[in-house]
Amino acid sequence: MESLLLFPSSSCRSSANNLQLFSSRVQTKSPLFPIFKSTPRRTTALMQMSAAASAAKEAKLWGGRFEESVTETVEKFTESISFDKALYKHDIMGSRAHASMLARQGLISESDADGILRGLGEIERQIDNGEFVWRTDREDVHMNIEAALTDLVGEAAKKLHTARSRNDQVCTDLRLWCRDALDFILSRIRHLQVALVKLALKNEGLIVPGYTHLQRAQPVLLQHLLLAYVEQLERDASRLLDCRERINFCPLGACALAGTGLPIDRFMTSDALGFTAPMRNSIDAVSDRDFVLEFLSANSITAIHLSRLGEEWVLWASEEFGFLTPCDSVSTGSSIMPQKKNPDPMELVRGKSARVVGDLVSLLVLCKGLPHAYNRDLQEDKEPVFDSIKTILGMLEVSAEFAQNITFNKERIQNALPAGHLDATTLADYLVKKGMPFRTSHDIVGRCVALCVSSNCQLQELSLEKLRSISPVFDEDVYEFLGVENSVKKFTSYGSTGSECVSEQLNYWVNKLGING
Amino acid sequence: MESLLLVPSSSANPLQLFLSHPQTKRSLFLILKTTHERAAVMQMTTAASATKEAKLWGGRFEESVTETVEKFTESISFDKALYKHDIMGSRAHASMLARQGLISESDADSILKGLDEIERQIDDGKFAWRTDREDVHMNIEAALTDLVGEAAKKLHTARSRNDQVCTDLRLWCRDAVDSILSRIRHLQVALVMLAMKNEGLIVPGYTHLQRAQPVLLQHLLLAYVEQLDRDADRLLDCRVRINFCPLGACALAGTGLPIDRFMTSEALGFTAPMRNSIDAVSDRDFVLELLSANSITAIHLSRLGEEWVLWASEEFGFLTPSDSVSTGSSIMPQKKNPDPVELVRGKSARVVGDLVSLLVLCKGLPQAYNRDLQEDKEPVFDSVKTILGMLEVSAEFAKNITFNWERIKSALPAGHLDATTLADYLVKKGMAFRTSHDIVGRSVAMCVSNNCQLQELSLDKLRSISPVFDEDVYEFLGVENSVKKFTSYGSTGSECVLDQLNYWVTKLGING
Repeated sequence: MESLLLFPSSSCRSSANNLQLFSSRVQTKSPLFPIFKSTPRRTTALMQMSAAASAAKEAKLWGGRFEESVTETVEKFTESISFDKALYKHDIMGSRAHASMLARQGLISESDADGILRGLGEIERQIDNGEFVWRTDREDVHMNIEAALTDLVGEAAKKLHTARSRNDQVCTDLRLWCRDALDFILSRIRHLQVALVKLALKNEGLIVPGYTHLQRAQPVLLQHLLLAYVEQLERDASRLLDCRERINFCPLGACALAGTGLPIDRFMTSDALGFTAPMRNSIDAVSDRDFVLEFLSANSITAIHLSRLGEEWVLWASEEFGFLTPCDSVSTGSSIMPQKKNPDPMELVRGKSARVVGDLVSLLVLCKGLPHAYNRDLQEDKEPVFDSIKTILGMLEVSAEFAQNITFNKERIQNALPAGHLDATTLADYLVKKGMPFRTSHDIVGRCVALCVSSNCQLQELSLEKLRSISPVFDEDVYEFLGVENSVKKFTSYGSTGSECVSEQLNYWVNKLGING
Repeated sequence: MESLLLVPSSSANPLQLFLSHPQTKRSLFLILKTTHERAAVMQMTTAASATKEAKLWGGRFEESVTETVEKFTESISFDKALYKHDIMGSRAHASMLARQGLISESDADSILKGLDEIERQIDDGKFAWRTDREDVHMNIEAALTDLVGEAAKKLHTARSRNDQVCTDLRLWCRDAVDSILSRIRHLQVALVMLAMKNEGLIVPGYTHLQRAQPVLLQHLLLAYVEQLDRDADRLLDCRVRINFCPLGACALAGTGLPIDRFMTSEALGFTAPMRNSIDAVSDRDFVLELLSANSITAIHLSRLGEEWVLWASEEFGFLTPSDSVSTGSSIMPQKKNPDPVELVRGKSARVVGDLVSLLVLCKGLPQAYNRDLQEDKEPVFDSVKTILGMLEVSAEFAKNITFNWERIKSALPAGHLDATTLADYLVKKGMAFRTSHDIVGRSVAMCVSNNCQLQELSLDKLRSISPVFDEDVYEFLGVENSVKKFTSYGSTGSECVLDQLNYWVTKLGING
């Protein structure tokens, strides 16, 4: 797991304006996601593409049995190139593996394979440099690349699609893409975990009110609370790792749905692409998108966790709580109210969770009730997947950035602590230690609290006489159990907020995440 | 995995139950019988107001809650489904308290005896659930106090309802996962056996719901088996994360009393206690994960439902369900509808809805327990109940359908299912695939205009399109020839399918 930390994170290098990007439009800089840069301009680009296409309409690669070409409206409605070109690297990767396998199996000649591989290299370079012309009349990323390859290397290119269909090709591309995206998300999760642990390290000893029902409950160490989020993120990561195992099977060679009679070697392509094994059933391989559903479910759960973090920090940054102050670099102002300094990034983290859940729901509805093997409906899977991943990456990145740029207001928090009788449970435990049944002690402390409420004071301000008027079990030593500092010290159970317990947790995470100092 | 198959399945007449109101007979799901019985709840409320007792948490309170609030906030009408797991948790907790010297052995004995008695009463339907006692935890604890007195008041030492309910729910979900897993295995077995009954049957394979390539029916059925296997895998992974113990996290911060969380965790069969008490009581991600896994399974079953409904139509006519899994129309005497699998398709909507409810529920909650979380139970119960019903009925349906061999065979020639095989033939002769695709496309166009099959085109006609065609071309035409030509790993060729079948027969422990 530690190696994931070595994954270059764009936030380390370019943290200066990550935030700005996220608040306006998230643009991950990795080549994985080149498509996102152009989405805002999609409409105009599309129109240009269509116009270019109708001028020089070429026959579709599948046009053998067709007498008419499709109408402009249908072409526009069914095209996917405007978004599926994001898959180009993985499409080319798959084609490389496929071509090499075809050559080794004697299905194409070595020189054909060389031509194909050289052509693919050239096309990848063109796309990387933004020089490639994507054509709507060539429908999708697969056909665009294959047709360009034919323009480039001629006859050899026509052999590339031997024993392959777009049905297995797109599944392969998408699985490869998801695998990379997943690794990327994992590295961002680690990054956020590290940021939270470091924030905890900076705030040793700080006691904050713990809430349930958003009412004061018990005093907890801030570190304990921050590490609760680290735990949740750890389960998020572990869900993704489980999902990665199921993603990592290779559909290539399933062809249209039934496999092929040509002597291909599915194990060779699967190996070359780093998959665990080829998928066992060709119909299943091209039909199902459960790996995407699982991925988007995992993202949704992560998004809900981050949304809860966002809610808590927005709350804590309010005047009424005043427990934390974000620095200016992660806050924004109001266009009208000069005094405003808003924690927008965390509001957007909370808000963007809605998109991630929406993407999952879109995909569930999309897949519901489809009969077997490929249906064109499945083309609609890509945009939700891209959006879900783009969004969760942004959320993780900005949360880490925010964590690196907030200060907890120790004075304010300390002044606020006496309110709310946070030590009441500790007092009830005191009576239990003296041999009283818990329900009775709960009742007695409840009455002590009522006394405080009517006298407008704290539990520790009640005299021993007053306490004894409620129960004779109270003794001098009761004051060692009152007040938040005393109260926190009394927690000793495994996983509790007692300082030793929390320090053990902290050590665990420092080791696990490989944090130095 | 095989042992899961041994779990008793209540399949005597699950179909009937599923169509009216699914009622799984295991005590796990006892509550589900009564969720519709709102009337019962109202009675309870009236009974309660007659003899209003102080709440167990009433120490600092001067007024009792209004009737409306009590009704709105109660959860006993549904969370009593957790009673077995609640009692299980209390047993482990009481034993631990005694061993740690926090309560006396005799107190522990009376608590354990009292809990047995209460469990017996609930099992027998003799227990009086009271709305004024709010939830399953308070109902059981208060009844215990009525039964054994002072000792019962010590049971809640170093425990909160916050960690208690998480523990109950994790235990319940763990059992639910195991139940679902056994049903998944059951359906996989039914599908494999259905495949074994239909050896050699070729059906049209579709993409875009257009005729694509001929496939063995066995191949198609095994595709569903694969999907169900990933569903089971997901549940097993989810189970690993469910199986950590929140008990002892108390309200949110743990406790200063010398409890032993490892002892309770072990007694309840958990892997370990949860490391962070705030996390332990705050999070419901294990439920979100379970409901996500259920949703994906539901989508798979919905696709199976769609396919079988389609195949049972007059137009397809590929399969006939037996009368025992069909229903009629109240007005049209000729009707025989495949309702069970329509409902399988339909009920997937509930499962997805339950997931969405829970995601929205958890969204934006600040840390530690919030009362909102009480709303998690009904979606969980509903999702589990529904998916169990769907799995059970799908298996039942699979056991009660016949594929119409004649009809399927006579339908096969249409749609040029052998076209790809013909393209591969040209590739084998050295032609580039794109060129062969184009040539076969033109051959198909010729068939369309002559209203014939590819195998009916004369060699001359074929050669007029491409000189590469030769006498041996006819060995590649027609669906039987076509299917035989598939040889790639995972393909529909009969040897490949046989390998798959053997894999599943072994894995699922099916005997002949």
